[in-house]
Amino acid sequence: MVSAEREFLATQLRRGTLEYCVLALLKKEARYGFDLVRSLGDVDGMVTSEGTIYPLLSRLRRDGLVETSWKESPTGPPRRYYALTPAGTRALKLFKTEWDRFTQAVDRLLESGGGK
Amino acid sequence: MTTKVDSRIEDYMKDLRAELRDFPATRRREILDEVQEHIYQARAELDAETEASVRTVLDRLGEPSDIAAEARDRFGIRPKKAGPLEVIAVVALLIPFFGWIVGTVLLWVSRVWSMRDKIIGTILVPGIWVFFFLSMVVDSVTVGTVVSGKGRGMGRALEPQAAETHWGGVLFVLAFFLIPIVTAIYLAIRARYLSQPDTAGTS
Repeated sequence: MVSAEREFLATQLRRGTLEYCVLALLKKEARYGFDLVRSLGDVDGMVTSEGTIYPLLSRLRRDGLVETSWKESPTGPPRRYYALTPAGTRALKLFKTEWDRFTQAVDRLLESGGGK
Repeated sequence: MTTKVDSRIEDYMKDLRAELRDFPATRRREILDEVQEHIYQARAELDAETEASVRTVLDRLGEPSDIAAEARDRFGIRPKKAGPLEVIAVVALLIPFFGWIVGTVLLWVSRVWSMRDKIIGTILVPGIWVFFFLSMVVDSVTVGTVVSGKGRGMGRALEPQAAETHWGGVLFVLAFFLIPIVTAIYLAIRARYLSQPDTAGTS
């Protein structure tokens, strides 16, 4: 039952943060879908079903936070690359600020309030 | 081996397409394209393509229903449930001719039924009519008379070959009453089944 609770918790935490993790992965360079998904999958607990990232990517594109372009691949057909837009960069920056503040506040609470 | 692997991927994509069937076409296309591309890339990176390794790729992608659920969540698309439109469609299909036309139009407008259901719902009623008229033609040809009108054709066929005319009569009853009822019952059952959130689109 502990693992079920842990799974629930992880899902809850993931819900609000996953899209920013995707944006963060695109901060340095554009990536193609499979590469992006595998990188997320390498982070423990971030992705349980790789396919669920694609609806999120569609959403981010529709919201104008990422854009796509096709690039030739050395092997096989062209790949669709995802890159941050200026709006995406701003959203990521804003999240980072809020996230730092939020985690510090939660950490303080957990340490002082929870650890008697 | 390759064909087995290909059909597994095909099945997966078919399931996903079915799960997304009530999505706006552009979004459905987008997700299907991206997942297809993912599978292609994943296959390209496999050391050796075996059935097991391809199944692992699909397992890591996750259940089509999970992907669809995530997409619904992200796009705010609620699963389609049978409503007044579906009820009217089913009832209309029971009424000959004009009702059937209305019912068929509504059947195709609805986003609840799958493509297979729609095709079955559309061809069953006219299908039995075509079958009926064909058998009439065959009847009249075997009897050796030319059918000039459907009433006369039937009348002629009545006289010399009682057995075949009887068969035609059974078909007539089937065409007129039974088949629309069977069609309506089938569609009603499917609509009910597809409206349950957990099982939607698993066929």
